[in-house]
Amino acid sequence: MSARPQPAPDPRQRLRVLRGKKIRKPTIAPWMIMVIVGITAFLGLVFARTSLDNSAFELAELNAAITQQAEINRELRIEIARLENPARIAPLAEEMGLVIPAETHQLLVDLDRDAPHLVQSNQEDTQ
Amino acid sequence: MATVTAGRQFNPLKLRLALIGIILLMAWGVVAWRLVQVQVVTAPEIAERGLQQRLVSRELPPQRGKIFDRNGDLLAMTVEAESLYAVPGQVEEPLWVAQQFGTLLGVDPDVLYDRLTSDKDFVYIKRQVDGDVADELLALGVRGVYSLPESTRVYPAGEVASHVVGFVNIDGVGQEGLEIIYEDALRGIPGQELFERDKDGVPIPQGMNDIIPAVPGVDLNTTIDLPLQYQAQQACEDMVAEAEAEACWVVAIEVETGAVLAMTGAPAFDPNTKLTVDGEPFSNFNVRGIYEPGSTQKLITFAAALEEQTVEVGTVFPNVADVLELREGACEFDDDEVHGCYRDFDEHETVDMTVQQIFTQSSNVGTIRVAETLGEERLVEYIQAFGLGTSTGVDYGAEASGILNFAAGCETCWASGAIGYSVAVTPLQMAAAYAAIGNDGVWTTPHIVSSTIDAQGQTEVASLETRVIVSEQTARLMRELLAGVVESGTGQSGQVDGYRVGGKTGTANKLGEDGRYTEETRASFVGMAPIDDPKVVVAVVIDAPSHEYRTGGASAAPVFSRVMEHALHRLGVTPDGIE
Repeated sequence: MSARPQPAPDPRQRLRVLRGKKIRKPTIAPWMIMVIVGITAFLGLVFARTSLDNSAFELAELNAAITQQAEINRELRIEIARLENPARIAPLAEEMGLVIPAETHQLLVDLDRDAPHLVQSNQEDTQ
Repeated sequence: MATVTAGRQFNPLKLRLALIGIILLMAWGVVAWRLVQVQVVTAPEIAERGLQQRLVSRELPPQRGKIFDRNGDLLAMTVEAESLYAVPGQVEEPLWVAQQFGTLLGVDPDVLYDRLTSDKDFVYIKRQVDGDVADELLALGVRGVYSLPESTRVYPAGEVASHVVGFVNIDGVGQEGLEIIYEDALRGIPGQELFERDKDGVPIPQGMNDIIPAVPGVDLNTTIDLPLQYQAQQACEDMVAEAEAEACWVVAIEVETGAVLAMTGAPAFDPNTKLTVDGEPFSNFNVRGIYEPGSTQKLITFAAALEEQTVEVGTVFPNVADVLELREGACEFDDDEVHGCYRDFDEHETVDMTVQQIFTQSSNVGTIRVAETLGEERLVEYIQAFGLGTSTGVDYGAEASGILNFAAGCETCWASGAIGYSVAVTPLQMAAAYAAIGNDGVWTTPHIVSSTIDAQGQTEVASLETRVIVSEQTARLMRELLAGVVESGTGQSGQVDGYRVGGKTGTANKLGEDGRYTEETRASFVGMAPIDDPKVVVAVVIDAPSHEYRTGGASAAPVFSRVMEHALHRLGVTPDGIE
């Protein structure tokens, strides 16, 4: 019996396509996103609330400071008015030698002349 | 053989479990039902109840308006203060507290001790204490002593402006002067604050906070010139001391506008104690006091006669004596109950006198003869036209209207009225009457507040009443007669350096408590300057000066001179009396 040469195996037949495990890209689960969003929102809310509370406290402090400054301003105005009171100034002026002049002088300005001339009125003490 | 029927066996354990389950279910049901009831059904009601417990409403007191003088200087203002109070039940050592606090605060320790040992829950130790003082006392840490904020009225000009500004009571309500007449405007409208508080009473920042802001009171701009007011008061105080008088009153008016530049007097009046330095209750005589004006009234008699042309300035009245008997036998008795005897202040020969001489020398007899030409009816008409007998309308509370005693059947009242008796006036009325002569015959309502300014800055200017009383010609003639009094008549001590001044002296005996005239006088002087174009009228009244100073020329005219000089300088009036 004569041997027939065996046909050469098709190299493609030796290759098998193996269905391997599908390699997935790493993804974030939706629930995790929701959790993160939720936590972020919560933290944001807490932060906003805290900021708002701080602002309210600052506002209250500022209002108190405004009231205090306004009151200081009022007291200073009164102090100025007290210091400007003629009843306080006149005796002090007198102590310093400032008195109402005993003689009254009027300075008449004659526009037709170069220099003003002094007119002395009555010599009586006007005090 | 007995047959045993296989069936469900009774299991007590299961029964118990079932019962417990049912009970728990019912309990949870009740809880759930209550939860729903609380959280859903009655939630709004409960929330509202909680809110009401946290909510506090408090009144926001308005800032009382300020009062300024014509230069913008502050006369009255409200500031915060502290009121110290105690809860007597908490005070452990009332005697010590009464002595310490009483001494420091000027409160009678006995009175304070009575308060601290009373069975009340709240007593004031002292109201409206300076904040620093209150802080120091609270720092002592005395149990049962607390403070609460209150506002207090401050008058930085003190006694100088007090006659005009007046004062408020402890609750900040106007009681006198501008403070009472402008109470509604000055007070403002209270606001309200609604806020949530925590258990300690501290406002919750994020809680409800509704505010209806208070509307501040309006500010008053007055016509008062503070430096002039001070000088007028000083002049008065000096004369009271010099003449040993009971009082002195002075009012200065701007002629053209009726603006009151100064209105003051002596004794001084402290707005804090509401008493004069003599401890007497304060009353502003310039507006509320009435007196018989004496010869200053003659201005009206002569103006009326000149206006009605019953006399002229040069008309001669023959045989003017120093005594005039209008009722037979009236002068035989030295008793003023028998009316009808009129005497000049100084004895003199019977002489012929012109109208000008009668006025300059202030002859009572001559004035009555001038009034005779006019007749009672017209005389009274002019007296009323000059504003006597009715209040001037000045913006100052409880103004007196004065008295005109021209009763029907009174035979001599017209004569008395012509020389300043039988009438009673206020210094302000006389000043306004003279201002009409200075203003060419136009009478203007005196006023103290020139404008009001509200919180929005809106300014409201006071409206004034004016009326023509006499002609410009008559007013000019009267001014010349007034100048004659100061230049050569009874009012020479009323002269002012550098200015031509016109004025009239007045000396009237005071009525005693028995209704009879006494030796005491009210000396007065009313005048204006510069006489050709008057800018200011000043009226001065000295009450009961000593004998040497009993006339208007001796006591009132010098005060007038001082005040007028300052007024003219303050207004920057050009001198017109330099020769």
